[in-house]
Amino acid sequence: MALPKRIIKETERLMNEPVPGISAVPHEDNLRYFDVTIDGPSQSPYEGGLFKLELFLPDDYPMTPPKIRFLTKIYHPNIDRLGRICLDVLKSNWSPALQIRTILLSIQALLGAPNPDDPLANDVAQKWKEDQNAAIETARQWTQEHAKP
Amino acid sequence: MSTPSPIPPPNDRRSSRASSNAGPPSSNLNVPSEPSDLLVVGGPPSSPSPLALRASNSPSSKRRKSRAAKVPPDVHMLEYVSACDSNLVCLICHSPFDRPVKLPCEHYFCRECVDHAWDAQQEDLRSCPTCRTKVDPQKDLSPVPRIIETMLDELVVKCPNTKTGCDWVDQRVNVHDHVMLYCEYTLVECPSTDCRLPISQKDFHKGCLHSTVSCEHCHASLMKKDLEVGSVMSICPNRSTNCPHCFIELLRLDLKPHVKDVCPMVSIPCSGAIVGCKVTAERIEVEEHEKTCPMATMAPFFREQQARVERSEARLDPLSRKIGILEDGLTNITSMLYPANGNDSSFPVTNPLDPNSSEAFPPASLMPTPDFRLPPASFPPVPQSSDTTQAQPPFDSQVHHLLTLHESLRDEVSRVSNALTELEGRTSMTIMNENQRVKEDMLHTNAAINGMRMQLHWLMSATLQQRSASAAGSSTARAGSSTGPSASGSGTQGASSRASATFRAPIRRLSDSTRQDVKL
Repeated sequence: MALPKRIIKETERLMNEPVPGISAVPHEDNLRYFDVTIDGPSQSPYEGGLFKLELFLPDDYPMTPPKIRFLTKIYHPNIDRLGRICLDVLKSNWSPALQIRTILLSIQALLGAPNPDDPLANDVAQKWKEDQNAAIETARQWTQEHAKP
Repeated sequence: MSTPSPIPPPNDRRSSRASSNAGPPSSNLNVPSEPSDLLVVGGPPSSPSPLALRASNSPSSKRRKSRAAKVPPDVHMLEYVSACDSNLVCLICHSPFDRPVKLPCEHYFCRECVDHAWDAQQEDLRSCPTCRTKVDPQKDLSPVPRIIETMLDELVVKCPNTKTGCDWVDQRVNVHDHVMLYCEYTLVECPSTDCRLPISQKDFHKGCLHSTVSCEHCHASLMKKDLEVGSVMSICPNRSTNCPHCFIELLRLDLKPHVKDVCPMVSIPCSGAIVGCKVTAERIEVEEHEKTCPMATMAPFFREQQARVERSEARLDPLSRKIGILEDGLTNITSMLYPANGNDSSFPVTNPLDPNSSEAFPPASLMPTPDFRLPPASFPPVPQSSDTTQAQPPFDSQVHHLLTLHESLRDEVSRVSNALTELEGRTSMTIMNENQRVKEDMLHTNAAINGMRMQLHWLMSATLQQRSASAAGSSTARAGSSTGPSASGSGTQGASSRASATFRAPIRRLSDSTRQDVKL
């Protein structure tokens, strides 16, 4: 199946004008599959970490959202053990006017602002609510342990 | 922009063509425009009659018929000559708008894109993809301002058939008419009745070109329509072409060797380049240069030397491998012959089997002890070599050496067995002495034990006598005190003292008796 023009254009733009702190490189054998890395935002417990993600554009993209998953282990109330991300724009609030770069920026922002009131990883969210400082310290440790560049 | 006309179903097309054909198709007739030198391998399923072809050649019928099979251009796939203003780009398809519509929130999208987006949403939740404002597709869509439509129309695009050869470039508003009416490269359905394969419009009048033919020059078989294409001219190896350097005319398959070895205008390096000459020029000039270049004259010798060195190096490799194998074998043999010295690294420095090497066996005079490593010292068969002649080889032959070695081994064994016997005798003597002493000790101990037993017996009998005597005494004392309370003071005193003795006695006897019971 031919690649829609929009995907080609988005890929070209991601290559030529990359978003600072984010890189997305398509696989050679499947141009709908991207290897993504996101730098942990500064002033957050994930600062200094380099997080790997995988991104897949389904056949009916951009009418359906891309599928994104964290490959690097991360301690975050909205990201579960398997790396799945709880983010409204990846589900019900997806709009075809969004694109790969905006979605990746949203994920980077989610790292900077965890939302324990809408959790995906319940145990992490519980910790986050009970003792935020300890949870942030754990997140920092995990970043040191698993997300070293 | 006009809506593309839908393609009629295949049945319609065929029936219309059949009715437009002037006469019944005659299968044996070839297409008139076909060159005579082309060998037809497989004829078309059914070639149209010349009449039909003439009819299809007239512009009106060609346009009418070919239009039916043409596919209108997809605006989203068009290639734009220059980058478009980002304000004219649809946020969904990322291409310039195609038939845009305006939403109540003043966001613009292609009609097709926004319809697709809403297909994925629920009926009552449809909203603007950009700002999520609720939209009712039935009444909220409005046309975009005229000026935007004009700007979009004026975008310059390339013909979608650019890849097949069309170089048309014009405003986007004209692309539909160009592709549908004028472009020579638009694919249409083959004019033949039964052939359904596509063909460029410019070849339509040539009839069905979907038969396999073979090239007259290289005899490769390919479709006739491909033979017509100019690109075949540049592929066939048996076509004549011109050398790009000296412009001589020759066959394409001869071009490469010509450029490599013959062409006088190709620039090549001087043959002295391997020695260091840096001259690079056209072949004629290089030939002139080589006559005077000292390095060019040296080059053949250098090349020969280099080849020789390479050959020698190639031969060296298997030889060194062979040496390694031989060395391994030698070590194996040595360790088999001298198993005790297998770990002695100093031993096989020289070949021990070489009778002329005296260093293998150090002079016997320096080593007085008969040692396994020093066979000459313990060898009776070679007395002259024992201490007088050191430089003389100790053995005449390998067999002799082995025999002496065997002899020395036998000596060694007998010596060891002697020592063993001696040791045995000494050990048995020691054991006997020890035994004697132990026996005496045991006799002493037995005597002591007997004495002890005697004493114990005597003590036991004494105790028994005392017990029976005290038992009798206490019963008389009790009888005395109950019969006469007014007994004499001395008698009472004696009784009380006896009583105290009996009071003490039972306590001691109690424990004694229990112990005796257990023993009995």
